[in-house]
Amino acid sequence: MPFPDVKLANRPLHFLYLCDCSGSMAASGKMQALNQAIRQSLPGMAAVARDNPEARVLVRAVRFADHAAWHIEAPTPVEQLEWRDLQAGGITAMGEALKLVAAALQTPPMEVRALPPVLVLISDGQPTDDFSAGLESLLRVPWAQKSVRLAIALGHDADLEVLQRFIGSEPATAGRSPRRPLQASNATSLAQYIQWASTAVVGAASMPASRVSETPLEPAAGNIPLPDLPPTVLDPTDDVGPLVW
Amino acid sequence: MNWILPEGAWLGFEGLAAPLQIIRGLGGGTQGQVYEVELEGERLALKWYLPACIARDGGLEQRLVASIRTTAPNDDFLWPIALLRASPASRPLIRIRQESFGYLMPLRPPAYVGASEHAAGRLAIGLRQVLRACFCLSDAFHALHLAGLCYKDVSLGNLFLEPGSGSILICDNDNVAVDGADHGAVLGTPGFMAPEVLLGQARPGADSDLFSLAVLLFRLLTRHDPLKGQMELAIRCLDEPARRRLCGEDPVFIFDPVDARNRPDPIEHAAALITWPIYPRPLQALFVQTFCRGMKQPSRRALTGQWKQELARTLDRRALCPACDQENFQASGAQALCWSCASPLPEPITLSLPRGAVVAGPDNELHLHHFDALAGEDLRRPLARVVAHPQDHRRLGLRNLSTAAWSAEAPDGRAQPVQPGESCSLAALARIHTPEGPIAVQRPTRPSPAA
Ligand SMILES: Nc1ncnc2c1ncn2[C@@H]1O[C@H](COP(=O)(O)OP(=O)(O)O)[C@@H](O)[C@H]1O
Ligand SMILES: [Mg+2]
Repeated sequence: MPFPDVKLANRPLHFLYLCDCSGSMAASGKMQALNQAIRQSLPGMAAVARDNPEARVLVRAVRFADHAAWHIEAPTPVEQLEWRDLQAGGITAMGEALKLVAAALQTPPMEVRALPPVLVLISDGQPTDDFSAGLESLLRVPWAQKSVRLAIALGHDADLEVLQRFIGSEPATAGRSPRRPLQASNATSLAQYIQWASTAVVGAASMPASRVSETPLEPAAGNIPLPDLPPTVLDPTDDVGPLVW
Repeated sequence: MNWILPEGAWLGFEGLAAPLQIIRGLGGGTQGQVYEVELEGERLALKWYLPACIARDGGLEQRLVASIRTTAPNDDFLWPIALLRASPASRPLIRIRQESFGYLMPLRPPAYVGASEHAAGRLAIGLRQVLRACFCLSDAFHALHLAGLCYKDVSLGNLFLEPGSGSILICDNDNVAVDGADHGAVLGTPGFMAPEVLLGQARPGADSDLFSLAVLLFRLLTRHDPLKGQMELAIRCLDEPARRRLCGEDPVFIFDPVDARNRPDPIEHAAALITWPIYPRPLQALFVQTFCRGMKQPSRRALTGQWKQELARTLDRRALCPACDQENFQASGAQALCWSCASPLPEPITLSLPRGAVVAGPDNELHLHHFDALAGEDLRRPLARVVAHPQDHRRLGLRNLSTAAWSAEAPDGRAQPVQPGESCSLAALARIHTPEGPIAVQRPTRPSPAA
C-alpha cells in the first residue's frame, strides 16, 4: 500500500533576476550571452529545486533600459519557466528597477513566511537614473534586507562601486568573493556565474548544506552562508580565444 | 555543468595499473563532482574534489586512506575503494590548475533514488518499504558505530532508497572517522545536526550521529521535520539565525509529551499529524527519548540497537486492513481501528516464535532473530514469508525460504513435510517444526468483528 499521500510543508524561495538591457548590451553579443546563460541554467536550477522539497523556487525577472519593466512578472515555478529573449536598447534605469523590486517584496504581495529571497543584478555599465534613491527604497523593505544579493559585472565598463553598494558591505579579505561583484569577462564565465547563482546559492538559501568548521565559508549574505564560487575550470573552447568584453 | 574531468577521456592515476575511462559526469555538489567511470571492465563511481574543499579540510586525505584500509561496515555504504591522484601524464587533462584528488567507490545502481524524492512525496513506496529502509539505516549505523566509527553528516541528501524493497545506500562517506578522533572539518547539515554541535559546544561524533539518525528516521517515517511546529510558523524568514534558534537554542519536539509549545499546525503540518499515529507506541517512545531527554543529554539518545529492535518489531506487527488494504502496525490485543479508514481491525492470526511474534500478514517474514536469542535483528535472510493464496487472498500460507524441510502439524497431531520453496496453509495448522525452532499458529480467541 502506498505511503500516505501527505503534503510536505514548504516555503517559497523567490529568485529575481535584474537584467541590464541598455544599448551597450547589444555590443559583442553580451545580450545573447546573457539570454543563453540564463536559459542554459534552468535545468540545473530545476534539479536543485526538485532536490529541495522544503522550498518552492519561484522565478521573476526585471529588465531595465530607458525604463524598468517586468520581464517575468508572475512568480513562476522554475520547472515551468520559459526564458524569452531580452532585447537590448536604451539607457540604464537601474534605480527604477530596484524600486520595482522593492514594491514586489512588500507583504503583500510577498507571503508572510518565506525563505530568504535571492536577487541577482547583472549589468555592464553605469546607472543613468537615481540609483541611490532606488537602493534606499529597496533596503527599506524587510524582505529585501533579508535577501541574498549578488551582482555580476559584464565586461570592464560595469560600475563596480554601484554593484558593491547593491550587495552590501565589502568583505575584509581581498580576492574573489560572492560578496563582491562577480566579474564576467566572457560568455563562459558569465554562464558559470549564472549557473552558480541559480543552483549553489538557491540550494544554500533553501536547504542548508553540510557545514565545515575550520575555515569559515564565504561570509554570509542575507543571513545565509554562501557556497564557494565555482572553480575556474579551464574551458577547452577558450583555446580559440574567448570573446572578451 | 563544467566537468573538471573530461568525459570520454582515458586517465592514468598513481597506483592504478590500468588507465580509467571517464564515462560521464553524474552530478556536482558543494564538495566535488561525481563521475561514472570504467576500470578494467567494471563500472565504478569517482568523486573528484574541488580544491577549495581540500584546502578547507586538512584531514580529508588521511581519513580517506584510513577508511579504505578499514573497509565498509556493511554493504549499504558506498565506501571508498581507492584514493586517486592523476599521473603526471594525465595531469594536463584535468581542467583545474590546482592540485586535487578523488576516490573510487561503488556505483549506485539506477534503481536507487535520492531519499529527498520520498520526502517530496514523489516516490511510489509503501509503509513496509519505508520501515525496512529505516531498519537498514539503523543497521548500517549500528555496524558503523560498533566499528568505533562515526559518520558526522547524516542527512536526506546522503541516503538513497530502492522503493521496491526498501534497500538503502549511504553515500558521502568521506567524513567518517574514528569516534572522538577529531580531525575533520565537517559539522553536519543544519536541520539534522545535534543541538550541541549546531551551537558549537561539541564536535560531531557517535552521540550526535544518534540525534541526526533519529531526525532522518523521523523524516522518512512522517515526511515531516521533528522540530517544525508552531515555533517554525512564528518565523517569517527562515534564515540561519532562525534555524539556529529553532534547532539549537530552543529546540522543542513537535510531539513532546510535556512541552506543547511546538505542536504541529493542523494545516501546515498535516503530514506529521497523519503519519505519527500510524506507528506503535514503543517506536514513538524512541523518538520521544531522543528528542526530549536526549535533546540536551546526548548519552540519553536511543541507540542504534534499540532502533533496530523496535523497527523490526513494528514490521512484525504489520497487518492489512480488511476494508481498505492499508498497512497497520498496532500492538495486538488492543481494540484497534485502521489509521486510514477507521474500520475496526480484526484480531489477526499470529505466528508465535521463541523470540517474539509475527502477525500473519502477506509479505511478513520470519528471520533467525525470531528463534535465536543471540542473533541480532537482520532482515537480509528471511527463513519464511507469509504468502497469500493466488486464488483467494484471504487464505494465508507460510513459505519455507530456508534450505531445510519443515514439519507442519495439524491440530489433530498429523504432520506433513514442507520442503524448501513450498508453502503450507496456515488455516489448517497448529504448529510448524523447523530446525531453527517451533512456530505456533495462534488464531484469534474471539470472532473478528469483520467476520
Ligand atoms: N557512488 C555514486 N554513484 C552514483 N552517483 C553518485 C554516487 N555518489 C554520489 N553520486 C551523485 O553525485 C552527485 C554529487 O554527489 P555528492 O557526493 O553528494 O556531492 P557533494 O557532497 O559535493 O554535495 C549527487 O547527485 C549524487 O547523487
Ligand atoms: Mg553530498
